[in-house]
Amino acid sequence: MSAVSQSTSTLRSRGVQTIRFFARFTLGQRWEHLLLFVSFTVLFLTGVVQKYRNEVWSQDILSSPERLTLIRNIHHIAAIVLTIEVIYHLARAIYLLARRKMSPAMFPTWQDVKDAGRMIGYLLFLTKEKPKFGKYNFEQKITYWFLFFGIGIMVITGLIIWFPVQAANLISGAIVPAAKLAHSTEAIVAGVFVLIWHFYHVHLERLNLSIFTGRLNEDDMRKYHAAEFERLTGESTDAPDRGGQV
Amino acid sequence: MHRLRWALLTVMALAAVIVIAPRAIAARFAPIGPAVSDRLWQQPPPVTNDACLACHNDPSLQKKLYNGEMWSLSIDLKDHASSVHGQAGLACVQCHTNFDESHVKNPVQFPGFNANDRRDASLKLVTVCQQCHADQYAKANDSVHARAQKAGDVNAAICTDCHTAHTVRRLTDPVTKQLLPDARQWVPLTCAKCHSTIYNQYKDSVHGAALTQEGNLDVPTCIDCHGVHNIGDPTTAAFRLKSPNLCAKCHADPKIMDKYGISTQVLNTYVADFHGTTVTLFQKESPDAETNKPVCFDCHGVHDIARTDDPQKGLQLKQNILKRCQVCHPSATANFSAAWLSHYIPSPDKYPVVYFVNVFYQIFIPAVLGSMAILVVLDISSIARRRLRKPKDRPQPPAGKPSDTDVTGKESSHG
Repeated sequence: MSAVSQSTSTLRSRGVQTIRFFARFTLGQRWEHLLLFVSFTVLFLTGVVQKYRNEVWSQDILSSPERLTLIRNIHHIAAIVLTIEVIYHLARAIYLLARRKMSPAMFPTWQDVKDAGRMIGYLLFLTKEKPKFGKYNFEQKITYWFLFFGIGIMVITGLIIWFPVQAANLISGAIVPAAKLAHSTEAIVAGVFVLIWHFYHVHLERLNLSIFTGRLNEDDMRKYHAAEFERLTGESTDAPDRGGQV
Repeated sequence: MHRLRWALLTVMALAAVIVIAPRAIAARFAPIGPAVSDRLWQQPPPVTNDACLACHNDPSLQKKLYNGEMWSLSIDLKDHASSVHGQAGLACVQCHTNFDESHVKNPVQFPGFNANDRRDASLKLVTVCQQCHADQYAKANDSVHARAQKAGDVNAAICTDCHTAHTVRRLTDPVTKQLLPDARQWVPLTCAKCHSTIYNQYKDSVHGAALTQEGNLDVPTCIDCHGVHNIGDPTTAAFRLKSPNLCAKCHADPKIMDKYGISTQVLNTYVADFHGTTVTLFQKESPDAETNKPVCFDCHGVHDIARTDDPQKGLQLKQNILKRCQVCHPSATANFSAAWLSHYIPSPDKYPVVYFVNVFYQIFIPAVLGSMAILVVLDISSIARRRLRKPKDRPQPPAGKPSDTDVTGKESSHG
């Protein structure tokens, strides 16, 4: 699926060189991420204000019934956007997977457990070799599936506390306070997760903007997705390939 | 000469009328200012009670008011003597200040006082209370009753409607200033003089029944919620938003609640849930905001508060609490009432779903986020250590392989 593209750039000191780029995300996937990013941020901000209503800063924002209604409406609109995005994402993934038009690279495998074990060994200086990762390394799979289930919980519990009477009729009344607690707590879990795990890996460890640009350069491919690089190019990552350089 | 004398006399008489009359009128109808003295009752009265009672002891003594109504002016000294004022030795004229010697000499010509009707008379006389009770008088002036008076409702309560005029009773302990046990029982009966419908609800409520039937002094009387002299309007949005604090004054106090085995968590648990959080927020931020969120009395009742285990009205009965839910959630069915935690703190017995969701997150959060944080820290330290170590023990590239630097000149991944 991944295509290799080449871009030629002129570096004054080194002359002309070609850097290979590898397609990583489709335009649709990039838009999906943007939608997720915006709705998640809006939901988190408007939700945190409602969660910490006993705090002074929150009370300054929610100072009147009109403000509270406004914040709640924004939260609900963002929730609808996110829910539609989730449904689209699932429907598209199921359709493409069923028709074998998309590789099931995001599904966790036994290899990921071994990779994680080896990575911890590498981090603890027990092994010198970093494991070779495929298209999505175990860290990225954790990010995806953690948010997948987290957002699932948020959507379901959110709908329950948005429509408590209907939820009580369908399931039971006690599900409403349980959903409220889960919604409020899971939100913090998801928020903190994005802050410490996702932001660290895409901003601090390395700046990875492939979800916005859609592509990853050869350098990062070799370093972080060696197995995928080998699969796509047939080249070995043990010896740095210099073929691209003219 | 004769004519001149008459003219002179006329002028003198006129002068006398002009000079003296306003003074006499002023003396009689002078508005009574703020408290003359705290110690008024300690000063010797200018006129003894005997002088008053010489006439006012006569049961047939009456006065015709402007509207033609006959008003009895007789007073039974025993009433006054048994009152708190009588016991303190207060004389008639220390309250009835607008009478002087002229009234004693000629009461018909100098009645000292006149009024359109009985109520008008009371409204005029009541102003004397502030001579000694300035604080209470000022507070009462700020009350819902005073506002109704100003709006033209002459029947709205004034001092004497509650305290009576001549049989004023002692209500507080002179030392502790606390309401006397008897007084607690008088309060609802006093309010009932006008608010009889509410009294009938109150006397059968859990609080009212305990007070009227058992003489329980822990239960609230009217004034514990509504205030004493500065009684506010209980129909405002502000009163509604503040009302949970009124209930919490007793219901969050273990000193009172432990006696009856009632939970003191009622306010906490209310505030922690949807409705209470919003009410508390608005109470602080916009106290006059109208809110449709229920407060204590929306579910438990206003004056007809029942025990929660009352066989008919108790909120522990599902159909009773459901009725309350349906006021705001019309489509709620029997399932819905369990959505409210009923002031319980979730436990394995009460609301186990909520309890176990909480337990789950107490384990899940430190386990997952903690281990992720550890991985991130490990990653940072690994990168840092490898970078620091590089210049010294940089591994030699295996034989036959060109170089360790790639196109961009950075270190390659496996270095």
